[in-house]
Amino acid sequence: MYDRIALIECHVRRGTIAIVFAIMCCAAPLMAAGNGSGEKSPVDVGLVVFDPGIPVDQSSHSRLGIFPEIRKAEAQYMPVILRQVLIESGDWGVVRVLPEVLDSSELLVTGTIVHSDGLRLQLRISARDASGVQWLNQIYSGSTRSTDYPVSVPGDPYLELYQQIADDLAAVRQQKSAKQLATIRDIALMRYAMQLAPAVFATYLTRTPDGQYALQRFPAEGDPMLARVIRIRNQEYLFIDTVDEQYERLSEEMAPTYNLWRQYGAEQAIYQSEYQQRVASRGTQGRRGSFTALERSYNTYKWSKIHEQDLVELALGFNNEVAPTVMDVSGAVVELSGTLDSQYSEWRDILQRIFTLETGLVPAS
Amino acid sequence: MPWVTLSVDMFRSLQRLIIAVTFVVMVALLAGCASAPVEKGPRLQRENVQAVNFSGSWEMDYSLSDSTQDKLDVMARDLNRQAQRRAQSEGRRRPAGADMVMRNSAGPNSSSSVLGLARIADLITQSPLLEINQGRYKISVEREEDFSLTCEFYPGEMHKVETPFGTEICGWNGHQLVFELRLPEGLSIQHIITMGAAGQKLLIATTVLSSQVSFPFTLNRVYNRFEPGENGFQCQETLTRGRVCTTESR
Repeated sequence: MYDRIALIECHVRRGTIAIVFAIMCCAAPLMAAGNGSGEKSPVDVGLVVFDPGIPVDQSSHSRLGIFPEIRKAEAQYMPVILRQVLIESGDWGVVRVLPEVLDSSELLVTGTIVHSDGLRLQLRISARDASGVQWLNQIYSGSTRSTDYPVSVPGDPYLELYQQIADDLAAVRQQKSAKQLATIRDIALMRYAMQLAPAVFATYLTRTPDGQYALQRFPAEGDPMLARVIRIRNQEYLFIDTVDEQYERLSEEMAPTYNLWRQYGAEQAIYQSEYQQRVASRGTQGRRGSFTALERSYNTYKWSKIHEQDLVELALGFNNEVAPTVMDVSGAVVELSGTLDSQYSEWRDILQRIFTLETGLVPAS
Repeated sequence: MPWVTLSVDMFRSLQRLIIAVTFVVMVALLAGCASAPVEKGPRLQRENVQAVNFSGSWEMDYSLSDSTQDKLDVMARDLNRQAQRRAQSEGRRRPAGADMVMRNSAGPNSSSSVLGLARIADLITQSPLLEINQGRYKISVEREEDFSLTCEFYPGEMHKVETPFGTEICGWNGHQLVFELRLPEGLSIQHIITMGAAGQKLLIATTVLSSQVSFPFTLNRVYNRFEPGENGFQCQETLTRGRVCTTESR
């Protein structure tokens, strides 16, 4: 039902609305602010790989219909889709998928998969800017229709849900003045600098009792220490961009299989529901205790089980096809060992050591 | 002698009392059987820790497995004997022979109910091949031409699945793995899987109970372990390409 063309059309519409809205509403308040801030600077977004939402208690997985391997793959797949939607909206600066939380992100978006199958998706999304102000914290739900399958690639049956998240983020951004957005960017840089050299940069920021950051001052333009911080941060972004390419590749390779999995899942769920209705509306069951009645009772259960077990088989097929790619992505960056998130930690440690060597400053513990 | 007369009277009274009590107990037992047959199975262990690994490929040994017809004959005889005893205890005379069960066409222990029970037991124990995969907390008994029996055995938790079509309970009872299915129409099925001493034989005792038959019907199926032949290629399921086979050896 959804495809990229539809998505672009949607953004064109939104763009038109935004221009009209800007003419009608924004111009006057910006002028009235009188700070001469002009255009709003784009905010960079960090999307952390989602929490797969797998309960620790393994015995509950089958009852809740959770296939852990699929959830782990979804946790890497879904932020990539959200990233594409945010990029295509044109409302944001650089949008990156992060292997782990980067506190100094200008806008950090985290998500947890609450429920995911071919019929329904539920995500808890939280967004917080570098100053510590929460932009979003809510559960988004989406459901599919039979016309959503088969999924045409590129596209996603839950595109409306991602669109809603993007719209809500854009709405909060819209409420911020250019100065506020610029301050968020400055705070993000100072938080990053503070992590590298707290002795130098700690006084640039203060924390309010409710945990928010306030910018006290900012280094002068051309400050050599700040230049080093920016260089190190760019190195880190370089790593993340490389990782993002892997996430992108994973999502592209996974999409056909994953879409098929969701389609089968939806078909199974619809079949189960219709089967249940058919069984309930059956007339005569045969004389109680007769072979006909017993056979019908057994066969009803048998077919419900066979369909349930088909889904487990499909999950296995999904794992066989996608798991090697997921693992491949996790081990993609050479020279560094371990999983992607541990590689990221390792990389950050290296950057920290480089900075310490260059400046002779003691890093934050 | 007076005491002899007295003891004979006492004996007759006692005999009548025993017959009456036996009748009441039998009726109570039969009623119990009919209304709540599932309570009769082995008690599953609360700790639910796996004791035996059943993994492997198994094929039915027809020479050691029960014949449904023989079992049905035994059951019919038992039911007739039971009915005769009941008739005698009630002081009535009934024609002897197998026609007691066969005469009835409806109601508890009727011929069609007994035959129905035997046929359903036969139907659900026909799988000639089994493929069992057992992990630390899970087992899957893949049965040819039927659904797989699956069970999860996390310590301290009984595996129970309730669906609109029936309820499934499974777990360990010592060295036996027990699967219970409670289905509509008063049908209850219990599979008890036991491994032979050398690990080369598997016994699956399937007991079927119906609310319309006072006796459970049990069929024992014996399976022999076998090694599936190497076919020179290995296959795995995929979602987009179906079953994909390669020539790599295992």
